[in-house]
Amino acid sequence: MELLNKEAMREWVRSAARQLDHDTVFSRADVEGEILPNFCEGRTIFSVAIVAQMLAILITLVTRRISLNLFHDLLLISLFVQWIGLASAGVLCVSRKYLNRLNNLRAFGMAYLLLLCVTWLVSESAVWLLFGFGKINTPRPEWYNYFHVQNICMSAIINALVLRYFFAKHELRVRTLSAERTKARAMLSRIRPQFVFSSMNIIASLTRSDPAKAEAAIEDMADLFRMMLSQDETLVPVKNEIEVAQKYLAIEGLRLDNRLRVDWDIGKFPRKAVMPVLTLQPLLENAIRHGIEPMTAGGVVIVRLWEHEDKIYIRIINPIPRTRAKRVEESHSMSLEDIRLRFQSHYGDTAKLEFGRQDEQYIVNVVLPTRKEPT
Amino acid sequence: MRVLIVDDEKLARDRLRELLSDIGGYDVIGEAMNGNEAVEKTAELNPDTLLMDIRMPGMDGLEAAMHLMGMEAPPSVIFTTAYDQHALDAFEVNAVDYLLKPIRRDRLANALTKAQKLTARQLQEVNQARQDPPARTHISVHLRGNIRLVPLPEVIFFLADSKYVAVRTAAEEHLIEDSLVNLEREFADRFLRIHRNALVSAAHIKGIEKSPSGTWQVNLKGIDKRLDVSRRHAASVRRWARNRPNPA
Repeated sequence: MELLNKEAMREWVRSAARQLDHDTVFSRADVEGEILPNFCEGRTIFSVAIVAQMLAILITLVTRRISLNLFHDLLLISLFVQWIGLASAGVLCVSRKYLNRLNNLRAFGMAYLLLLCVTWLVSESAVWLLFGFGKINTPRPEWYNYFHVQNICMSAIINALVLRYFFAKHELRVRTLSAERTKARAMLSRIRPQFVFSSMNIIASLTRSDPAKAEAAIEDMADLFRMMLSQDETLVPVKNEIEVAQKYLAIEGLRLDNRLRVDWDIGKFPRKAVMPVLTLQPLLENAIRHGIEPMTAGGVVIVRLWEHEDKIYIRIINPIPRTRAKRVEESHSMSLEDIRLRFQSHYGDTAKLEFGRQDEQYIVNVVLPTRKEPT
Repeated sequence: MRVLIVDDEKLARDRLRELLSDIGGYDVIGEAMNGNEAVEKTAELNPDTLLMDIRMPGMDGLEAAMHLMGMEAPPSVIFTTAYDQHALDAFEVNAVDYLLKPIRRDRLANALTKAQKLTARQLQEVNQARQDPPARTHISVHLRGNIRLVPLPEVIFFLADSKYVAVRTAAEEHLIEDSLVNLEREFADRFLRIHRNALVSAAHIKGIEKSPSGTWQVNLKGIDKRLDVSRRHAASVRRWARNRPNPA
């Protein structure tokens, strides 16, 4: 039982850490998928054939007058275009493994060159075939050069369009995936394991010495976790955000005892003022983690919140330890960048987040538009 | 068995105290709130075992354990931690005793019965496993079998002798067994090598002057002593002095 528990907890912790390390765990191909579709698949080959046929019809209509010979010409042109199309698919199928190993630009450049070669080869074979069947009496008829130039030009344009399409599709997939990854990471990083387990230890301690306090702490934690685990990135009334932040501070206050002192000053807010859910709590968590925890004597976190001309202003100031100041500052600003991303997804560029060190203080300034809830 | 409890969170210390009294047979002889206090109280109270949190303000648990190992009869150490992935993996690999918070009574009892003394190698491996091993905040000095901590900001320079390194503060000088190369690597951001045998705290350098005999010398804050800059290091020291952010 004991063993199971410990193992389970460590497994959870490990898997959480693994999730955070996404990029290192999965190779590029796993995450982004392959650059070119699989041309060995029946479905892809079928679409190549369809596209080739449409192209053949187009060429026939453009170059031939309507006459009884039209179908005969269409047949010949179809045969030729299908040949090029399927041969191209075949070459991409064979060289796929190699191409997917290259970086994007090279893979596309290489594929393009290969496809042009296929066109030239097929054109050349067509000439020899006609010669072989006795349709022409020399493998170098007078239209020979014109034929090659024409085919290569058409192939150059069509292949450029097709590859451009695949490239755009690939880009789109990469972008969607990275957006989802950012979201997943944001979700996960909301809950800090250090905080969870330390708090549980503290609550275990309180259940003996002060059951009433333990009860309150569990209630606060439950509320906090509910917010952290919720999937939606919504806007909530400022009042709610302040409540959540205060619950968080209550738990940290138990843990850090008199080392954590908070100086609140909250101005008046219009009742309908809103801000993104979990805006204050992560800012405070940063201030505590980087400013209060590393200091033997603790310190004061100053929180200022006010509204002015339809904007919400938040200012959080925490002391920073003199030793290791640089290191602390770096990790501090890293977690703040995550918060900046969240603001961006809500407000675009109208939200402001500034942070920096001033002597022995770290100051975070936030300006958010008072976007009112739709009534 | 005499136990010293080390944790920066009061309620965490209370819990250990209560669990120990539940188990029985253990005598909590003191509590410390950080690594610094842990080393001082160990020297003073001489406990058999330390229950020590890893993450603490000031000196952390791992650094404290490292200093304790220099004692003549170091206590055994059981680390406690809420979460410290890299350290935990290293503990597992190197068979260092540790407990996860929230701490369970039977696990604690179990760990105490087989608590063992740490070795230098174990601690070194653990420290290396940490993503970004922090530099020591103190230098430990051994005095007549006892241990003294010198805060790093008080150190003005390290001067290497044939076998020892002298640690000089404004008031005192101590000898430690360490190498200047190690010290230079560990404290690269705060100390400057000015001579084959001398490492000087950048914050304590008042200025660099040419002596009457033509060699460069470092003028120091806090003590009335000048140190020679070797010819080999003269260029790098002067470059450092020119780029110094705020000469105070």
